[in-house]
Amino acid sequence: MVADRPPFEDLYREFMRRIYAYVRAQVSTAADAEDITAQVFMNAYQAYGRFEARNTTPAAWLFRIARNATLDHFRAHGRRERLRRTIEHQPMAEVDPAGVAEERIQYRALLAYVARLPERQRDAISLRHSGLSFEEVGALLSCSEDAAKMLYHRALKALRDSVREGMA
Amino acid sequence: MSDNEDRELQALRRQLDDAFETTRPRAGFEDDLWSRMQARRPLWAQVRDFLAGLVAAVRRVPAAPAATVAVVLVLAIGIGIISLRGPGGGGSSLSRESGTAPFAGGAGAFGRLPAPALQPVPNATTAPKTDGPGGAFAGQSTAGLYFGPATLVWAGQLNIHLTTATVYRYAEPTSAAADQFAASLGASRQPGPAGQGGLGAYSGTGFVLGVAGTIPSPLREPLFFLTPDRSTLPPPGPTATDTANAFLTAHNLLPTWPYVVATAQSADVVRVLYLRQFAVQGVGQVYTVDAVGERHGLEVDLRGGQPLQAVGPLPVTLEPADYPIISAGQAVKSALALSPAGPSSIEPIPTVRLTAAELIYALAIGGDHSFYEPAFLFSGTFTHNGITYVKRVLVPAVAP
Repeated sequence: MVADRPPFEDLYREFMRRIYAYVRAQVSTAADAEDITAQVFMNAYQAYGRFEARNTTPAAWLFRIARNATLDHFRAHGRRERLRRTIEHQPMAEVDPAGVAEERIQYRALLAYVARLPERQRDAISLRHSGLSFEEVGALLSCSEDAAKMLYHRALKALRDSVREGMA
Repeated sequence: MSDNEDRELQALRRQLDDAFETTRPRAGFEDDLWSRMQARRPLWAQVRDFLAGLVAAVRRVPAAPAATVAVVLVLAIGIGIISLRGPGGGGSSLSRESGTAPFAGGAGAFGRLPAPALQPVPNATTAPKTDGPGGAFAGQSTAGLYFGPATLVWAGQLNIHLTTATVYRYAEPTSAAADQFAASLGASRQPGPAGQGGLGAYSGTGFVLGVAGTIPSPLREPLFFLTPDRSTLPPPGPTATDTANAFLTAHNLLPTWPYVVATAQSADVVRVLYLRQFAVQGVGQVYTVDAVGERHGLEVDLRGGQPLQAVGPLPVTLEPADYPIISAGQAVKSALALSPAGPSSIEPIPTVRLTAAELIYALAIGGDHSFYEPAFLFSGTFTHNGITYVKRVLVPAVAP
């Protein structure tokens, strides 16, 4: 194993929950989030031999895989559902009672608002609050660090407005 | 931006931080997924990573206080006999390239024997080592291993007076033998290849199992590798050893050979080791050592008090044969004259005082059979650039 590459299990234990939270903020059910998270780490496990620590951080590498897996999920399953939710502006259907029980109820609604943001804003919020730096967010969203900051702040205001409307 | 708006956005940021921080998958998902990932990997990769696991874990914590990597020794002594319950079998499908050793002693029923030898660990001289699981070398527990050339000086006592000792031989197990072992645990073969060196991959109720033949590098005897489904495990016992014992008993895997139990902790993983021993008349129980001279046997890793995986020797039939043994004086002479196991990596060549020696058993492979052979393991320490290293020298005990 390359000296600067930590054992994969270290990455898994450090990032699994963060990746899950990131994915959970994008999709409508805990079951989907688990499926996608599992796919993320299966893919990462297979690709870890090609990971170059000098080119990117483990966090950026894993979140890139997570972002791609989430987009794949929407391409395959969720585009129509997301569109419907956006149009109807309804809280997301929760089909996993066990998942409901295990998630913090008070934050689930907030993540549901995040999930309804436009894609780039949603990503900026989710990646940033999953612990990535603005530089890493920018790299993942193919923009500069400053542009990532601006995108994030616009997303934050959009989220605030969305929450206000929902509470009105 | 007004103060109110600023405060509002700050509060929203904090809520988001909390929301992401507290959003978790269901209980057990993390370990379930890890088990699934492990089960889908090639058997050979699982075994290789397990064997490298403790070394890697130890490398990750060289700067940690010694107390965080505590070794608790000798919790129990298991009494058993050399396992005869496992199926034997002939034939070998393994490459012997890196495992073949020069032939040594020959005046015994098995004819000339391959000589056991240490195998260098890559980058070992840059990997200061914390407490070893065997705890064999008191006072040397924070050193790394050095396999390169050294000027050796003997400064210890070796009071072993033997004329003969037993060599144990086993035939390389077959896939059929692996199937039989798996069936005894209630596991059935999974479709697909087992991978290089693998004899089979199996699944049972609540666990997956891999079986591998003799591994040339790092040298290990035939192994089983069991990974449980952590969502189905019973509550942990009061101690790690209790949990490991219960886990092994439930799977009918508690060693039937003599052993001493030790535990080693690295980060949040506790490893319970059942250190294998062989009885030597006139000496008592002596340990087996692995390719780097660490005591070893069957190992159970636990995280959060629950078993993660267990790896141990596949039961095989051991045939005994007595061989003449070199004297202690000859062993010392050989230790001082032996060629280094690894290349030079420290300049200038260090002078090492070998201060300890013990009789051990080490594995050597040759032809269709492999052998547990008696050997003398010498050790000493030296310091280079502020780092303490352990130098080990393994001298085959069987007379040439």
